Amino acid sequence: MSDPMRIRAAVKGEKVEVKILMSHVMETGQRKDAEGAVVPAHYITKVTASCNGRDVLSADWGPSVSKNPYLSFRFKGGAKGDKLKVTWTDTAGDSRSDEVSIG
Amino acid sequence: MCSSRLLALGLWLIAASASAAPAWEALGKPLAANEIASWDIDVRPDGVGLPPGHGSVEEGQVVYDTHCASCHGTFGESTDYLALAGGVGSLGTATPQRTVGSKLDYATTLWDYINRAMPFNRSKALSVNEVYAVTAYVLNLNDILPADAVLDERSLPQVEMPNRKGFTQAHGMMRADGKPDVRNTACMKDCLKTPPQVSSALPAGFTHQLYGELGPHFRQFMVAAPAAAAPTPAALAASNGCLACHAAQQTRVGPAFADVARRYAAVADAPAQLRQKVRAGGSGVWGSALMPPQTTVTDAALDQILGWILAGAAAP
Ligand code: HEC
Ligand code: HEC
Repeated sequence: MSDPMRIRAAVKGEKVEVKILMSHVMETGQRKDAEGAVVPAHYITKVTASCNGRDVLSADWGPSVSKNPYLSFRFKGGAKGDKLKVTWTDTAGDSRSDEVSIG
Repeated sequence: MCSSRLLALGLWLIAASASAAPAWEALGKPLAANEIASWDIDVRPDGVGLPPGHGSVEEGQVVYDTHCASCHGTFGESTDYLALAGGVGSLGTATPQRTVGSKLDYATTLWDYINRAMPFNRSKALSVNEVYAVTAYVLNLNDILPADAVLDERSLPQVEMPNRKGFTQAHGMMRADGKPDVRNTACMKDCLKTPPQVSSALPAGFTHQLYGELGPHFRQFMVAAPAAAAPTPAALAASNGCLACHAAQQTRVGPAFADVARRYAAVADAPAQLRQKVRAGGSGVWGSALMPPQTTVTDAALDQILGWILAGAAAP
Protein backbone atom coordinates (compact mmCIF):
# COMPACT_ATOMS: atom_id res chain seq x y z
CA MET A 1 0.00 0.00 0.00
CA SER A 2 1.31 3.44 -0.85
CA ASP A 3 1.92 6.27 1.61
CA PRO A 4 -0.66 9.05 1.87
CA MET A 5 -0.23 12.22 -0.14
CA ARG A 6 0.37 15.46 1.70
CA ILE A 7 -2.16 18.00 0.44
CA ARG A 8 -2.64 21.67 1.29
CA ALA A 9 -5.53 23.58 -0.21
CA ALA A 10 -6.26 27.14 0.83
CA VAL A 11 -8.36 30.00 -0.55
CA LYS A 12 -6.05 32.71 -1.91
CA GLY A 13 -8.11 35.64 -3.23
CA GLU A 14 -10.45 34.42 -5.97
CA LYS A 15 -8.73 31.09 -6.34
CA VAL A 16 -7.89 28.02 -4.34
CA GLU A 17 -4.18 27.23 -4.19
CA VAL A 18 -3.42 23.52 -4.00
CA LYS A 19 -0.06 21.96 -3.16
CA ILE A 20 0.43 18.20 -3.28
CA LEU A 21 3.35 15.96 -2.41
CA MET A 22 2.94 12.39 -3.61
CA SER A 23 4.96 9.48 -2.39
CA HIS A 24 5.94 7.33 -5.38
CA VAL A 25 9.13 5.69 -6.74
CA MET A 26 8.47 6.96 -10.31
CA GLU A 27 10.81 4.37 -11.84
CA THR A 28 11.34 5.24 -15.51
CA GLY A 29 12.16 1.73 -16.70
CA GLN A 30 15.53 3.03 -17.94
CA ARG A 31 17.54 2.67 -14.76
CA LYS A 32 19.74 -0.34 -14.03
CA ASP A 33 20.39 -1.68 -10.55
CA ALA A 34 23.81 -2.64 -9.10
CA GLU A 35 23.68 -6.03 -10.90
CA GLY A 36 22.96 -4.34 -14.23
CA ALA A 37 19.37 -5.54 -14.41
CA VAL A 38 16.81 -3.04 -15.67
CA VAL A 39 14.56 -1.76 -12.88
CA PRO A 40 11.03 -2.19 -14.24
CA ALA A 41 9.02 0.92 -15.05
CA HIS A 42 6.63 1.98 -12.31
CA TYR A 43 5.29 5.49 -12.54
CA ILE A 44 2.10 7.53 -12.17
CA THR A 45 0.19 7.88 -15.42
CA LYS A 46 -2.88 9.82 -14.34
CA VAL A 47 -3.59 12.47 -11.72
CA THR A 48 -7.04 13.92 -11.10
CA ALA A 49 -8.37 16.40 -8.58
CA SER A 50 -11.99 17.17 -7.81
CA CYS A 51 -13.67 19.75 -5.62
CA ASN A 52 -16.93 18.49 -4.06
CA GLY A 53 -17.10 15.94 -6.88
CA ARG A 54 -16.45 18.44 -9.72
CA ASP A 55 -13.26 17.75 -11.70
CA VAL A 56 -10.79 20.64 -11.46
CA LEU A 57 -7.65 18.97 -12.79
CA SER A 58 -6.82 15.99 -14.94
CA ALA A 59 -3.26 15.27 -16.00
CA ASP A 60 -1.55 12.52 -17.99
CA TRP A 61 1.93 11.86 -16.66
CA GLY A 62 4.92 9.98 -18.03
CA PRO A 63 8.23 8.60 -16.82
CA SER A 64 10.00 11.98 -16.84
CA VAL A 65 8.32 13.15 -13.64
CA SER A 66 10.63 12.95 -10.61
CA LYS A 67 10.41 10.59 -7.68
CA ASN A 68 7.97 11.77 -4.95
CA PRO A 69 6.34 14.32 -7.28
CA TYR A 70 5.35 17.79 -6.08
CA LEU A 71 2.39 19.38 -7.86
CA SER A 72 0.94 22.83 -7.33
CA PHE A 73 -2.01 24.45 -9.15
CA ARG A 74 -4.80 26.99 -8.64
CA PHE A 75 -8.44 26.79 -9.63
CA LYS A 76 -11.48 29.05 -9.46
CA GLY A 77 -14.80 28.22 -7.86
CA GLY A 78 -13.72 26.52 -4.63
CA ALA A 79 -14.67 27.71 -1.15
CA LYS A 80 -13.49 27.17 2.41
CA GLY A 81 -14.77 23.85 3.72
CA ASP A 82 -15.16 22.24 0.27
CA LYS A 83 -13.68 18.77 -0.08
CA LEU A 84 -10.72 18.47 -2.40
CA LYS A 85 -9.97 14.92 -3.50
CA VAL A 86 -6.80 13.94 -5.36
CA THR A 87 -6.29 10.59 -7.06
CA TRP A 88 -3.38 9.04 -8.90
CA THR A 89 -3.12 5.82 -10.90
CA ASP A 90 0.17 4.18 -11.89
CA THR A 91 1.55 1.71 -14.43
CA ALA A 92 1.09 -1.18 -11.99
CA GLY A 93 -2.62 -0.41 -11.82
CA ASP A 94 -2.27 0.85 -8.25
CA SER A 95 -4.25 3.87 -7.30
CA ARG A 96 -4.50 6.14 -4.30
CA SER A 97 -6.94 8.87 -3.28
CA ASP A 98 -6.63 11.38 -0.48
CA GLU A 99 -8.98 14.13 0.56
CA VAL A 100 -8.67 17.39 2.52
CA SER A 101 -10.99 20.26 3.42
CA ILE A 102 -10.11 23.54 1.77
CA GLY A 103 -8.82 25.94 4.44
CA MET B 1 26.23 20.42 13.57
CA CYS B 2 29.32 19.40 15.48
CA SER B 3 30.14 22.76 16.95
CA SER B 4 29.18 21.97 20.52
CA ARG B 5 32.58 20.53 21.33
CA LEU B 6 34.40 23.54 19.84
CA LEU B 7 32.23 25.86 21.82
CA ALA B 8 32.90 23.95 25.00
CA LEU B 9 36.62 24.24 24.33
CA GLY B 10 36.25 28.00 23.79
CA LEU B 11 34.53 28.38 27.12
CA TRP B 12 37.22 26.42 28.84
CA LEU B 13 39.89 28.75 27.46
CA ILE B 14 37.96 31.78 28.61
CA ALA B 15 37.58 30.32 32.05
CA ALA B 16 41.28 29.50 32.24
CA SER B 17 42.32 33.00 31.20
CA ALA B 18 39.95 34.56 33.70
CA SER B 19 41.34 32.71 36.69
CA ALA B 20 45.09 33.46 36.84
CA ALA B 21 47.33 33.85 33.82
CA PRO B 22 49.33 37.10 34.04
CA ALA B 23 50.72 36.84 30.51
CA TRP B 24 47.20 37.16 29.12
CA GLU B 25 46.13 40.00 31.35
CA ALA B 26 45.90 42.54 28.57
CA LEU B 27 43.62 40.32 26.55
CA GLY B 28 39.85 40.39 26.96
CA LYS B 29 38.04 40.71 30.22
CA PRO B 30 36.56 38.31 32.76
CA LEU B 31 33.07 37.28 31.67
CA ALA B 32 30.04 37.60 33.89
CA ALA B 33 27.98 34.46 34.44
CA ASN B 34 25.14 35.81 32.29
CA GLU B 35 27.56 36.56 29.45
CA ILE B 36 28.84 33.00 29.51
CA ALA B 37 25.26 31.72 29.67
CA SER B 38 24.36 33.65 26.53
CA TRP B 39 27.08 31.79 24.61
CA ASP B 40 26.49 28.44 26.24
CA ILE B 41 23.60 27.34 24.03
CA ASP B 42 24.70 23.89 22.92
CA VAL B 43 22.22 21.06 23.26
CA ARG B 44 23.61 17.57 23.66
CA PRO B 45 22.15 14.38 22.21
CA ASP B 46 20.64 13.38 25.57
CA GLY B 47 18.93 16.77 25.86
CA VAL B 48 21.30 18.39 28.36
CA GLY B 49 21.22 22.10 27.56
CA LEU B 50 17.63 22.22 26.28
CA PRO B 51 15.83 25.23 27.77
CA PRO B 52 12.33 24.66 29.20
CA GLY B 53 9.60 25.25 26.64
CA HIS B 54 7.10 23.47 24.44
CA GLY B 55 5.48 23.55 21.03
CA SER B 56 3.04 21.45 19.02
CA VAL B 57 3.10 20.20 15.44
CA GLU B 58 0.08 22.41 14.81
CA GLU B 59 1.82 25.58 16.07
CA GLY B 60 4.92 24.50 14.18
CA GLN B 61 3.06 24.50 10.88
CA VAL B 62 2.35 28.23 11.32
CA VAL B 63 5.98 28.99 12.22
CA TYR B 64 7.15 26.86 9.30
CA ASP B 65 4.85 28.45 6.72
CA THR B 66 5.94 31.92 7.86
CA HIS B 67 9.68 31.44 8.31
CA CYS B 68 10.83 28.31 6.51
CA ALA B 69 8.58 27.26 3.60
CA SER B 70 9.88 29.97 1.24
CA CYS B 71 13.26 28.22 1.17
CA HIS B 72 12.59 24.61 2.18
CA GLY B 73 9.24 24.10 0.39
CA THR B 74 5.72 23.67 1.77
CA PHE B 75 6.34 20.03 2.63
CA GLY B 76 10.08 20.32 3.21
CA GLU B 77 10.60 18.95 -0.31
CA SER B 78 12.58 21.88 -1.77
CA THR B 79 15.55 21.05 -3.93
CA ASP B 80 16.55 24.73 -4.36
CA TYR B 81 17.89 25.06 -0.84
CA LEU B 82 17.72 21.79 1.09
CA ALA B 83 14.99 19.22 1.50
CA LEU B 84 14.09 18.78 5.18
CA ALA B 85 11.81 15.79 4.72
CA GLY B 86 11.82 12.48 2.90
CA GLY B 87 14.31 9.73 2.32
CA VAL B 88 13.66 7.97 5.63
CA GLY B 89 14.98 4.43 5.15
CA SER B 90 16.77 5.28 1.89
CA LEU B 91 20.32 5.63 3.23
CA GLY B 92 21.43 2.08 2.51
CA THR B 93 19.82 1.96 -0.94
CA ALA B 94 21.12 2.85 -4.41
CA THR B 95 19.37 6.23 -4.24
CA PRO B 96 20.02 7.57 -0.74
CA GLN B 97 18.31 10.82 0.14
CA ARG B 98 19.90 12.65 3.05
CA THR B 99 17.58 14.86 5.03
CA VAL B 100 17.41 15.67 8.73
CA GLY B 101 14.67 13.04 8.89
CA SER B 102 16.68 10.27 7.28
CA LYS B 103 20.18 11.03 8.56
CA LEU B 104 20.09 12.47 12.09
CA ASP B 105 20.62 10.11 15.01
CA TYR B 106 19.14 12.45 17.65
CA ALA B 107 16.17 14.80 17.39
CA THR B 108 17.89 17.14 19.86
CA THR B 109 20.46 17.94 17.14
CA LEU B 110 17.66 19.19 14.90
CA TRP B 111 16.47 21.50 17.69
CA ASP B 112 20.01 22.77 18.29
CA TYR B 113 20.62 23.44 14.60
CA ILE B 114 17.37 25.32 14.04
CA ASN B 115 17.94 27.27 17.25
CA ARG B 116 21.43 28.33 16.15
CA ALA B 117 21.13 28.77 12.46
CA MET B 118 17.61 29.09 11.10
CA PRO B 119 15.92 30.91 9.49
CA PHE B 120 19.05 31.23 7.35
CA ASN B 121 18.63 34.97 6.79
CA ARG B 122 17.57 35.75 10.38
CA SER B 123 19.14 33.23 12.71
CA LYS B 124 18.12 33.46 16.38
CA ALA B 125 14.88 35.24 15.48
CA LEU B 126 12.66 32.42 16.81
CA SER B 127 11.55 32.09 20.43
CA VAL B 128 12.32 28.90 22.38
CA ASN B 129 8.71 27.73 22.05
CA GLU B 130 8.74 28.42 18.30
CA VAL B 131 11.86 26.26 17.94
CA TYR B 132 10.12 23.40 19.79
CA ALA B 133 7.05 23.82 17.59
CA VAL B 134 8.88 23.95 14.25
CA THR B 135 11.10 21.02 15.28
CA ALA B 136 7.91 19.03 15.98
CA TYR B 137 6.54 20.05 12.59
CA VAL B 138 9.70 19.05 10.68
CA LEU B 139 9.58 15.67 12.46
CA ASN B 140 5.92 15.35 11.48
CA LEU B 141 6.77 16.12 7.83
CA ASN B 142 9.12 13.13 8.10
CA ASP B 143 6.34 10.93 9.59
CA ILE B 144 8.41 10.59 12.77
CA LEU B 145 5.81 12.36 14.96
CA PRO B 146 2.00 12.22 14.67
CA ALA B 147 0.03 15.36 13.83
CA ASP B 148 -1.12 15.85 17.43
CA ALA B 149 2.36 15.63 19.00
CA VAL B 150 3.69 18.25 21.42
CA LEU B 151 7.39 18.53 22.26
CA ASP B 152 9.07 19.90 25.36
CA GLU B 153 12.49 19.60 26.98
CA ARG B 154 11.58 16.16 28.39
CA SER B 155 9.84 14.58 25.39
CA LEU B 156 12.22 15.81 22.65
CA PRO B 157 15.17 13.63 23.81
CA GLN B 158 12.80 10.62 23.86
CA VAL B 159 12.07 10.88 20.13
CA GLU B 160 13.61 7.87 18.40
CA MET B 161 15.15 8.89 15.07
CA PRO B 162 15.05 6.31 12.24
CA ASN B 163 18.83 6.51 11.80
CA ARG B 164 19.55 6.28 15.54
CA LYS B 165 22.05 3.43 15.08
CA GLY B 166 23.27 4.28 11.58
CA PHE B 167 26.28 6.45 12.42
CA THR B 168 29.75 4.95 11.96
CA GLN B 169 33.24 6.41 12.26
CA ALA B 170 34.89 3.76 10.14
CA HIS B 171 34.62 5.68 6.87
CA GLY B 172 35.83 9.11 5.77
CA MET B 173 33.50 12.06 5.78
CA MET B 174 32.58 13.54 2.43
CA ARG B 175 35.20 12.65 -0.15
CA ALA B 176 38.17 11.95 2.11
CA ASP B 177 39.20 8.96 -0.02
CA GLY B 178 37.29 6.64 2.23
CA LYS B 179 39.74 7.24 5.05
CA PRO B 180 38.30 8.01 8.46
CA ASP B 181 38.99 11.60 9.46
CA VAL B 182 39.70 11.25 13.12
CA ARG B 183 41.62 8.19 14.12
CA ASN B 184 44.54 9.77 15.95
CA THR B 185 45.18 9.62 19.64
CA ALA B 186 45.30 13.11 21.06
CA CYS B 187 48.76 14.66 21.26
CA MET B 188 49.03 17.27 23.98
CA LYS B 189 52.70 18.36 23.84
CA ASP B 190 55.27 19.26 21.13
CA CYS B 191 52.91 17.95 18.53
CA LEU B 192 53.87 19.92 15.43
CA LYS B 193 56.81 18.18 13.76
CA THR B 194 56.25 20.08 10.50
CA PRO B 195 54.10 23.18 10.08
CA PRO B 196 50.58 22.29 8.95
CA GLN B 197 49.63 22.97 5.33
CA VAL B 198 46.08 24.25 5.31
CA SER B 199 44.40 24.19 1.93
CA SER B 200 40.89 24.30 0.53
CA ALA B 201 39.35 22.44 -2.38
CA LEU B 202 37.58 25.68 -3.35
CA PRO B 203 39.31 28.18 -5.65
CA ALA B 204 41.22 30.92 -3.83
CA GLY B 205 39.02 33.78 -2.68
CA PHE B 206 35.80 31.82 -3.35
CA THR B 207 34.08 32.54 -0.06
CA HIS B 208 34.99 36.20 -0.20
CA GLN B 209 33.70 36.53 -3.75
CA LEU B 210 30.41 34.93 -2.87
CA TYR B 211 29.73 36.60 0.45
CA GLY B 212 32.06 39.61 0.72
CA GLU B 213 33.05 40.57 4.23
CA LEU B 214 32.03 37.73 6.51
CA GLY B 215 31.63 40.00 9.53
CA PRO B 216 28.12 41.25 8.69
CA HIS B 217 26.89 37.65 8.39
CA PHE B 218 27.35 37.11 12.08
CA ARG B 219 25.31 39.16 14.45
CA GLN B 220 27.13 40.95 17.18
CA PHE B 221 26.61 39.04 20.37
CA MET B 222 25.81 41.54 23.06
CA VAL B 223 24.40 40.96 26.49
CA ALA B 224 23.70 44.56 27.39
CA ALA B 225 23.77 46.76 24.31
CA PRO B 226 25.06 50.23 25.12
CA ALA B 227 22.57 53.00 24.42
CA ALA B 228 23.47 53.70 20.80
CA ALA B 229 22.82 56.50 18.35
CA ALA B 230 20.07 55.77 15.79
CA PRO B 231 21.45 53.09 13.43
CA THR B 232 22.48 54.11 9.92
CA PRO B 233 20.54 52.61 6.99
CA ALA B 234 23.60 50.46 6.25
CA ALA B 235 23.49 49.13 9.81
CA LEU B 236 19.76 48.45 9.41
CA ALA B 237 20.47 46.51 6.22
CA ALA B 238 22.99 44.44 8.19
CA SER B 239 20.79 43.85 11.24
CA ASN B 240 17.82 42.90 9.07
CA GLY B 241 19.81 40.24 7.27
CA CYS B 242 19.86 41.96 3.82
CA LEU B 243 23.66 41.80 3.69
CA ALA B 244 23.53 38.01 3.86
CA CYS B 245 22.69 38.18 0.15
CA HIS B 246 23.44 41.76 -0.93
CA ALA B 247 26.44 44.06 -0.90
CA ALA B 248 26.61 47.76 -1.75
CA GLN B 249 28.90 47.44 -4.75
CA GLN B 250 29.23 43.75 -5.63
CA THR B 251 26.75 41.25 -6.98
CA ARG B 252 26.28 38.40 -4.54
CA VAL B 253 23.27 36.11 -4.31
CA GLY B 254 21.23 39.23 -4.98
CA PRO B 255 22.09 42.32 -7.06
CA ALA B 256 24.53 45.00 -5.82
CA PHE B 257 22.56 47.83 -4.24
CA ALA B 258 24.44 50.31 -6.45
CA ASP B 259 23.12 48.43 -9.52
CA VAL B 260 19.59 48.57 -8.11
CA ALA B 261 19.99 52.36 -7.73
CA ARG B 262 21.14 52.67 -11.36
CA ARG B 263 18.31 50.55 -12.69
CA TYR B 264 15.59 52.46 -10.86
CA ALA B 265 17.09 55.96 -11.20
CA ALA B 266 14.35 57.04 -13.62
CA VAL B 267 11.47 55.09 -12.06
CA ALA B 268 9.19 57.49 -10.18
CA ASP B 269 7.48 55.01 -7.86
CA ALA B 270 10.61 52.92 -7.26
CA PRO B 271 10.36 53.09 -3.43
CA ALA B 272 6.79 51.74 -3.43
CA GLN B 273 7.55 49.15 -6.10
CA LEU B 274 10.66 47.88 -4.31
CA ARG B 275 8.99 47.92 -0.90
CA GLN B 276 6.38 45.54 -2.25
CA LYS B 277 8.97 43.34 -3.95
CA VAL B 278 11.14 43.02 -0.85
CA ARG B 279 8.09 42.22 1.31
CA ALA B 280 6.79 39.60 -1.12
CA GLY B 281 10.16 38.28 -2.30
CA GLY B 282 10.58 36.86 -5.80
CA SER B 283 12.97 36.25 -8.65
CA GLY B 284 13.36 36.94 -12.34
CA VAL B 285 14.30 40.62 -12.41
CA TRP B 286 18.00 40.04 -11.83
CA GLY B 287 18.30 36.35 -12.47
CA SER B 288 16.90 33.08 -11.31
CA ALA B 289 17.99 33.40 -7.65
CA LEU B 290 15.10 33.86 -5.28
CA MET B 291 14.75 36.56 -2.63
CA PRO B 292 12.64 35.05 0.17
CA PRO B 293 9.85 37.29 1.49
CA GLN B 294 11.37 39.77 3.98
CA THR B 295 8.62 39.71 6.56
CA THR B 296 10.40 40.74 9.73
CA VAL B 297 11.98 44.09 8.80
CA THR B 298 9.80 46.96 10.09
CA ASP B 299 8.18 49.40 7.65
CA ALA B 300 10.23 52.27 9.02
CA ALA B 301 13.51 50.39 8.70
CA LEU B 302 12.66 49.15 5.22
CA ASP B 303 11.88 52.68 4.02
CA GLN B 304 15.20 53.90 5.38
CA ILE B 305 17.09 51.01 3.79
CA LEU B 306 15.39 51.53 0.41
CA GLY B 307 16.08 55.27 0.52
CA TRP B 308 19.72 54.50 1.10
CA ILE B 309 19.81 51.87 -1.66
CA LEU B 310 18.15 54.15 -4.21
CA ALA B 311 20.59 56.93 -3.33
CA GLY B 312 23.45 54.62 -4.38
CA ALA B 313 24.15 52.74 -1.13
CA ALA B 314 27.12 54.87 -0.15
CA ALA B 315 29.26 53.74 2.76
CA PRO B 316 28.21 55.49 5.98
C1 HEC C 1 16.64 32.08 3.25
C2 HEC C 1 16.45 30.67 3.04
C3 HEC C 1 16.18 29.79 4.28
C4 HEC C 1 15.20 29.96 5.23
C5 HEC C 1 14.14 31.04 5.31
C6 HEC C 1 15.33 28.84 6.13
N1 HEC C 1 16.38 28.04 5.74
FE1 HEC C 1 16.97 26.32 6.65
N2 HEC C 1 18.54 26.20 5.38
C7 HEC C 1 18.84 27.09 4.36
C8 HEC C 1 20.13 26.78 3.80
C9 HEC C 1 20.82 27.54 2.68
C10 HEC C 1 20.62 25.66 4.53
C11 HEC C 1 21.97 24.97 4.39
C12 HEC C 1 22.90 25.71 5.32
C13 HEC C 1 24.29 25.15 5.37
O1 HEC C 1 24.51 24.02 4.94
O2 HEC C 1 25.17 25.88 5.90
C14 HEC C 1 19.59 25.31 5.48
C15 HEC C 1 19.67 24.23 6.36
C16 HEC C 1 18.68 23.84 7.23
C17 HEC C 1 18.68 22.64 8.04
C18 HEC C 1 19.76 21.58 8.01
C19 HEC C 1 19.45 20.61 6.91
C20 HEC C 1 20.41 19.46 6.81
O3 HEC C 1 20.12 18.54 6.02
O4 HEC C 1 21.43 19.45 7.49
C21 HEC C 1 17.54 22.64 8.79
C22 HEC C 1 17.08 21.58 9.77
C23 HEC C 1 16.82 23.85 8.46
N3 HEC C 1 17.53 24.56 7.51
C24 HEC C 1 15.62 24.22 9.03
C25 HEC C 1 15.00 25.45 8.79
C26 HEC C 1 13.86 25.92 9.55
C27 HEC C 1 13.13 25.12 10.62
C28 HEC C 1 13.56 27.16 9.07
C29 HEC C 1 12.48 28.11 9.55
C30 HEC C 1 12.52 28.45 10.97
C31 HEC C 1 14.52 27.46 8.00
N4 HEC C 1 15.37 26.41 7.88
C32 HEC C 1 14.51 28.63 7.24
C33 HEC C 1 18.02 28.11 3.92
C34 HEC C 1 16.92 28.60 4.62
C1 HEC D 1 18.31 35.13 0.83
C2 HEC D 1 18.87 36.16 -0.01
C3 HEC D 1 18.29 37.60 0.09
C4 HEC D 1 18.02 38.35 1.21
C5 HEC D 1 18.16 37.94 2.68
C6 HEC D 1 17.59 39.65 0.74
N1 HEC D 1 17.59 39.66 -0.62
FE1 HEC D 1 17.07 41.28 -1.79
N2 HEC D 1 17.32 40.11 -3.46
C7 HEC D 1 17.79 38.80 -3.48
C8 HEC D 1 17.74 38.33 -4.82
C9 HEC D 1 18.16 36.93 -5.29
C10 HEC D 1 17.25 39.39 -5.62
C11 HEC D 1 16.98 39.39 -7.13
C12 HEC D 1 15.51 39.11 -7.35
C13 HEC D 1 15.08 39.20 -8.78
O1 HEC D 1 15.90 38.92 -9.67
O2 HEC D 1 13.88 39.50 -9.00
C14 HEC D 1 17.02 40.50 -4.73
C15 HEC D 1 16.54 41.77 -5.14
C16 HEC D 1 16.43 42.88 -4.33
C17 HEC D 1 16.07 44.21 -4.77
C18 HEC D 1 15.76 44.61 -6.21
C19 HEC D 1 14.36 44.16 -6.53
C20 HEC D 1 13.98 44.33 -7.97
O3 HEC D 1 12.89 43.82 -8.31
O4 HEC D 1 14.72 44.95 -8.75
C21 HEC D 1 16.06 45.03 -3.65
C22 HEC D 1 15.74 46.51 -3.60
C23 HEC D 1 16.39 44.18 -2.51
N3 HEC D 1 16.63 42.90 -2.96
C24 HEC D 1 16.46 44.63 -1.22
C25 HEC D 1 16.61 43.77 -0.11
C26 HEC D 1 16.47 44.22 1.25
C27 HEC D 1 16.16 45.65 1.68
C28 HEC D 1 16.67 43.13 2.05
C29 HEC D 1 16.60 43.02 3.56
C30 HEC D 1 15.38 43.47 4.20
C31 HEC D 1 16.93 42.00 1.16
N4 HEC D 1 16.89 42.44 -0.13
C32 HEC D 1 17.22 40.70 1.59
C33 HEC D 1 18.19 38.05 -2.38
C34 HEC D 1 18.02 38.44 -1.06
